[in-house]
Amino acid sequence: MNLVGQLAPYETEVAGAPNAEFTVAPPSVEDAARILDLACERGLRVLTWGGGTHQGYGYGVDPDVVLSTHRLDRLIDWSPDDLVAVVEAGVKVSTLEERLAEKGQSAILSEIPGGATVGGSIAAGISGWRRLRYGPIRDRILEATVATGDGRVIRAGGRVVKNATGYDIPRLMTGSLGSLGVIGSVALKLWPVALHAATVTVEDPTLALATAYRPIAVLETNSASAVYLSGTDEALDEQIASLDGTRADGHLWPDPLDHNTVLVMRVPSRHTAAAVTQVEDSWDFCAAHGVGEIRIGSNTASSDDANRLRQWAEAHNGALVVERLADDLRSGFDPWGTPPATAGLQRRVKDAFDPVGVCNPGKLPGGV
Amino acid sequence: MTLTAELVDLLGTARVLDHPLRRHVYGKDGGVTRGDVELVCLPDTTSEVVEIVRIARRHGLPVIPRGAGTGLAGGAVPLGPAVMIVLTRMDRIEDVDVESKTAWVGPGVINLELSQHTHRHGLHYAPDPSSQSTCTVGGNVATNAGGLHCLAEGTTVAHVLAVEMVTADGEVVTLGGEAPDPIGLDLRAVAVGSEGTLGVVTRVLVRLTENAPASQTLLLAFDDIENAAATVSAIISEGIVPGALEMMDRVTVEAVENYVHAGFPTEAAAVLLAEIVGTSAGVAAEANRVASIARANGAIDVEIASSPAQAALWWKGRKSAFGAVAQAAPDYYLHDTVVPRTKLVEVLRAVYAIGRKYDLLMMNVFHAGDGNLHPLMAYDSAQPGVLDRVHAAAEEIVRASIAAGGALSGEHGIGIEKRDLMGLTFGPVDLDAQARLREAFDPEQVFNPGKVLPEGSRCFDYGRPPVGAEA
Repeated sequence: MNLVGQLAPYETEVAGAPNAEFTVAPPSVEDAARILDLACERGLRVLTWGGGTHQGYGYGVDPDVVLSTHRLDRLIDWSPDDLVAVVEAGVKVSTLEERLAEKGQSAILSEIPGGATVGGSIAAGISGWRRLRYGPIRDRILEATVATGDGRVIRAGGRVVKNATGYDIPRLMTGSLGSLGVIGSVALKLWPVALHAATVTVEDPTLALATAYRPIAVLETNSASAVYLSGTDEALDEQIASLDGTRADGHLWPDPLDHNTVLVMRVPSRHTAAAVTQVEDSWDFCAAHGVGEIRIGSNTASSDDANRLRQWAEAHNGALVVERLADDLRSGFDPWGTPPATAGLQRRVKDAFDPVGVCNPGKLPGGV
Repeated sequence: MTLTAELVDLLGTARVLDHPLRRHVYGKDGGVTRGDVELVCLPDTTSEVVEIVRIARRHGLPVIPRGAGTGLAGGAVPLGPAVMIVLTRMDRIEDVDVESKTAWVGPGVINLELSQHTHRHGLHYAPDPSSQSTCTVGGNVATNAGGLHCLAEGTTVAHVLAVEMVTADGEVVTLGGEAPDPIGLDLRAVAVGSEGTLGVVTRVLVRLTENAPASQTLLLAFDDIENAAATVSAIISEGIVPGALEMMDRVTVEAVENYVHAGFPTEAAAVLLAEIVGTSAGVAAEANRVASIARANGAIDVEIASSPAQAALWWKGRKSAFGAVAQAAPDYYLHDTVVPRTKLVEVLRAVYAIGRKYDLLMMNVFHAGDGNLHPLMAYDSAQPGVLDRVHAAAEEIVRASIAAGGALSGEHGIGIEKRDLMGLTFGPVDLDAQARLREAFDPEQVFNPGKVLPEGSRCFDYGRPPVGAEA
């Protein structure tokens, strides 16, 4: 059978995805592996597509095949007493979190996810604002089932909250931007949601970070700084009394940045306040104190501006990455900046999973 | 030059051990397997490690990194002629960054000493295996060590931001970094828990955790292990994640009580110790909630520590469990498997049955909140054939855990102990992917050959396998 015939059962349409010769949606991870196997045979470039919310990272891929995960949409298993959920990659973050909230649990994914999927959030390594308290998303991926670039289905990790069995492939998949394969499903470590939550507006985020005991987040935006707390009523009252701020009930997260260009500065957390001073007054930003992530949105930034920010970040042992880039910044500004010294090793690791190079080829730093 | 001459040239005679008796000491770790060591090197610097790796390779010998040797899975036991690199002298705590809450440390730093060192800054290093007063941070990185506080804090991998590693080519690479999410693949995550098979870790950037302003310990006693397990589930489903949640069974409680007189109720079938941490008012409120959950689940005794000294004594009791075993028998085998929390009772019952079947004294003291079981079999190695029974029982416990949806190891690692059981949980294609990943770092198996992955894991030839290929 020819390729068109072989891919016909998977044909689909995906709004917002780039044009490609084939746009397909496998209904299972085995089908995803079959598609990747065909791609290997024909030397096709495959771009994996979740919700399309974080496709702006890294070098562009001109795909022959767009592989959408939207048919991988099942909640496979959820054991509330074990705080573990097994979920397919194409499930929307919002759908999953709504479901988990029925029993007071959360996978601590993005607070305002838009159309993002679970698999896409993992592939892009999106940790959300609550990282200060709950750690990065990679620490919640217990098990991963993946269709690797060479068309095989592998499973790594396990459905238990603690595991020292073999190499940590689930964490390796986190932030790999689809360069190793297609994530089919994952087991996620869940957290119980505390009964009470508060947002406390403060003057000085650095001081607040030093004062509060392990807050959920300390965020600074153009307009205000706030400490996010959770816990028992007693614990909240005690913490708020020490903070000298204005209390609001619940967690009031900042609006997502909807600018043409969204850049993310990542620096050692002690440099967060200094990084904020590098942001032009006319841009919007949200800085996560204690984490070292500063998200910056602008409709007017030039490639010179972006390069200046990157220079500052790299000089402070950090990086500046692109989440979304206006067309006029595409020349004169590299999406990654200085590639890591380990690019050669990264290439060999990619080859171990994707020897032919069909999965998002060239997307990672150093063109890996 | 001979291997010894080259190494002596580099390190001097005092830091190259080739006397049979001294080498004998390094032939074993905390587990039960023994191997033969060709030569032991004690480097002081990363560049010495680079040179040792190069010299060993020139002489065609593999390299085995070792920390304090407290590992329980034989991860640091050589399976054939090898050069051992013992990293305990590289024990410098470099600058502690109080504001970012990180520190670069040598792999030889003792786990507990790191927390003691950072105490003045109100910080500690969260992973706290029971061996924390002797084990090293480098060894913890190798095994992705856990401890009592993993339930709330995660294992070593969540507390290591970067490692400096000497590769098989003798290159020095830094995996991970100070800033969140360094660009590119997260190779740091692969290095942690790799059991010395990918390179020699020569520096570690650790994440430090704030000391809690307040803490409270509860002792909850049950006349039925089922009620104890139900309490564990109920605490967590009520939205409380205690700092630690540990269970001891009757045999353990009796042994510990004889040994440290912690005031444990020896008539109980199971004792739970729960540690609540946070701000003082929050801790008090949560401790009361935990106490009422325990009562609602049939606890026969609920005590809240009346003083920090009492709490410390209870925890000393918990941490002395392995020492207390000596009353029962001179040797013990400490196991490590993980099961879903909801399967604890079912698997514990199976563990007791296995103990009876092989006529072994089975003690259980474990991280209940994580579902991380540590069945301990006490025995006397002078008894003929006893080790065979211990090994057979150990394998049956693994099988029972896997059957319940669990994993081979929660925090000790695979090493040599569980290498040949990997096939119980992973298929040939899964193992092949792991073997390829290892090959990407160390194609010639210079580091710790024969560990973690069973022989034949690399089941396909280079390149893409034919569709439908079988192992």
